[in-house]
Amino acid sequence: MSNFNSQSKPQSKPQSKNRNRSFGQGHFNRITVWAKWLLLCLLIIPVVAGVVGVFLPAMGYFPAIGAEQFDFRVFAALFDVAGIHRMMWLSLFTGVVATVIAALFAFVLLSVFYRSQMLSRLQIVLSPFLVLPHAGAAIALVFLLSPSGFFARLFTFDSSAIASTNEGVFLFDSYGISIILALVLKEIPFILLMAISVMSQPLIQEKINGYFKAGTALGYSPIAIFFKLVLPVVFPQIRLPLLAVLVFAVSNVEIPLILGPNDPSTLAVAILHWFNHIDLSMRLQASSAAVVQVGIAVFAVIVMLAVEKGIIFYGKKWLQRGKRHAATDKAISATAYLLLVAYVVLVVSAVYTLVAFSFAKQWTFPNIIPADVTMLHWNTVFDAVLTPLSNTVLLGVSVSFSALVLVLLTLESEPLNAAKTRASLLLPTALFLPLLVPGVAFLYGLVWFQQLILKDAVWFHVYVAHMVYVIPYVYLSLAVAYRKFDNRYVMVALSLGKSPMEVFFFVKLPLLIGPILVAFALGLAISFSQYLPTLLTTGGAISTVTTEAVALAAGSSARLSAAYVVIQAVMPLCGFGLAWWLSNILFKPSTNTRSTNKSNTGKSVRSV
Amino acid sequence: MALTLKELRIFKGSALLLSLDVTVEKGEILTVMGPSGSGKSTLLQAIAGHLDTPFSFSGSILIDGTNLASKPPHRRGVGVMFQDALLFEHMTVEQNIMFAIPSAKYQTKSRKRDAVAKLLHAVELEGMQHRVVTTLSGGQQSRISLLRTLAAEPQAVLLDEPFSKLDTALRQQIREWTFTQLRERNIPALLVTHDNADAVSAGGQTIELSSC
Repeated sequence: MSNFNSQSKPQSKPQSKNRNRSFGQGHFNRITVWAKWLLLCLLIIPVVAGVVGVFLPAMGYFPAIGAEQFDFRVFAALFDVAGIHRMMWLSLFTGVVATVIAALFAFVLLSVFYRSQMLSRLQIVLSPFLVLPHAGAAIALVFLLSPSGFFARLFTFDSSAIASTNEGVFLFDSYGISIILALVLKEIPFILLMAISVMSQPLIQEKINGYFKAGTALGYSPIAIFFKLVLPVVFPQIRLPLLAVLVFAVSNVEIPLILGPNDPSTLAVAILHWFNHIDLSMRLQASSAAVVQVGIAVFAVIVMLAVEKGIIFYGKKWLQRGKRHAATDKAISATAYLLLVAYVVLVVSAVYTLVAFSFAKQWTFPNIIPADVTMLHWNTVFDAVLTPLSNTVLLGVSVSFSALVLVLLTLESEPLNAAKTRASLLLPTALFLPLLVPGVAFLYGLVWFQQLILKDAVWFHVYVAHMVYVIPYVYLSLAVAYRKFDNRYVMVALSLGKSPMEVFFFVKLPLLIGPILVAFALGLAISFSQYLPTLLTTGGAISTVTTEAVALAAGSSARLSAAYVVIQAVMPLCGFGLAWWLSNILFKPSTNTRSTNKSNTGKSVRSV
Repeated sequence: MALTLKELRIFKGSALLLSLDVTVEKGEILTVMGPSGSGKSTLLQAIAGHLDTPFSFSGSILIDGTNLASKPPHRRGVGVMFQDALLFEHMTVEQNIMFAIPSAKYQTKSRKRDAVAKLLHAVELEGMQHRVVTTLSGGQQSRISLLRTLAAEPQAVLLDEPFSKLDTALRQQIREWTFTQLRERNIPALLVTHDNADAVSAGGQTIELSSC
């Protein structure tokens, strides 16, 4: 065989080219590793700095007002505030109850539909709630549930009736039922989609299919199989997202601000008011409350984990009993269908009410249809919305695009066959860090640091704050697609002599264009929906559609408010629509053929 | 061109999975058979440079005396073919093949295009340049896939059960044709398969792996 070594000509040529390639490969590889560290820094530094920036004033250190002594008096003062215990309880209660109910309902829906064609239709029905910002969902509920709202109109048959002057049964109730309702409606789709994305991972899907066959052969009903065999596989995979939902639920601001009681409000809303108080010394109280808010979130997480342990403990006994057709099957599927109907009714009536309101000239109480329509409100909105809208789009596109680039490079930096590096071990924790630390706690600290460092770089600050929230979602959404990607395409392309960078740009990106565009649209939607990060880091200097909508919700014009919610709902849908359209036309071979090909036989062949 | 596996040992963790010492001459097709789990695909991954984390190897993989171990996958000049044709769906037939042709090989695009037309003509797929690959039949896809592999001018080709998804009649035809192409070009090839008929048709050495 060594005789053929003399034919060195074909060898020498590739080698000279190889040196270039080697440079290119190393370069690309280095870029991906840098991107990964940059991504980690963007996730970790703002959160850690923010928490520090809130802890210091809470411990009595706030040089701006001459407080430089560390002590616990701030906390003592906080617990003297009237209604503080009630605030804490309200936060904890609404958050935990809403999360438990939402998880339960999501599992009920899944258990009934996980093997049926309905699942995709279910996703369609639920997705408007998923992409609608929390603030928008809360405002929409006000329109439906208020004493002069749509449901009151539906059930008032006396045409001379006037809207009751009390606040209605649900809205602003001191138990926080309306907050729970809004949270549940918003979180069910999220939990459901997280579970579906876990269940559609190839390995898990295979396992679930196997379990389903085995369970059926043993005589278990599909619903029983879901709860007894499938959920134990799926649940550990969605535990972290579920805890993120929980932390959001106990500490979010916009829903209780719009729907919640005022005397007292939830702790998060109180923190918002205290931080924005003219009297700077209130900052100390706000900071200590923010620390308490972190404590509440931690406590809620512990409660949730304890509930999980309890369910696992009793669940094992329940499994051993081996009951085949759980008597509850019928109740469960009835609940699922009821939920579905409730969602359809809510979506349809919310859309109708909001659109009708935004066009209504006059719409007296018990009437279901406005008396007359006008473009007046929309004209007003179009004039006013231009700046917030362009701010929103500019911010959303730049944040989502850069998040997408960072995430893609980070995913690319994790070769399948390499041992886990330090950075890749840090990544899963870092991704959930911004979601597991209450925003109301770390954002204020972050703002404090930002004002120390670059006081006037408002756009930069709001960009960083949005990145913190957008990166995790873009990453989680794309990681699913990356896991599903058939890596043999990469092996084939490499074996054809293409460098890793060429493979990334010419093979991976085009083949993954659909999921990539969806991740981009998701990033847009997340950026669009940010209320607190935008408000705090810009100090109101940059208004977005969402901050305007919340501001208007407290104001007097229901019409403008309705129009803003409509815009809030339409924007993310535009994003996803664009993603769907582009993924259908980009990188399709039939549209790529150049005009010079026309003379070829190809065209006639293609039309056959 | 000859592919030599010199005292090649593949480990899973610290356990020895398989050991081989063989030379595949140019134009020869070496068949590796064995039950699943015996490390057939792992062997191909080692040669192509895609070995996964729990696996490692010792010994050397040589093409004409040049060790491949230190080269990244894309500079090994080793073509890989799988059960599926894995044509890139965002490219036409022509683009798939042009993607594989070394960029310095043809001066102009039209020459490159002529070369593709000639390749297609040789396998009775003339006029298919601008077809969307998903509209091709299984046999057509297999043939294009091999053309694409050959267009990159590999020093060796690895075949990972490439015929197992084709039905019997087609299977024989594609197999004969594939082997002929490889022999004509004097390329050493390593075929992993379950099917005895593949080994017979390949006509080279056959290695049976036992499961560990």
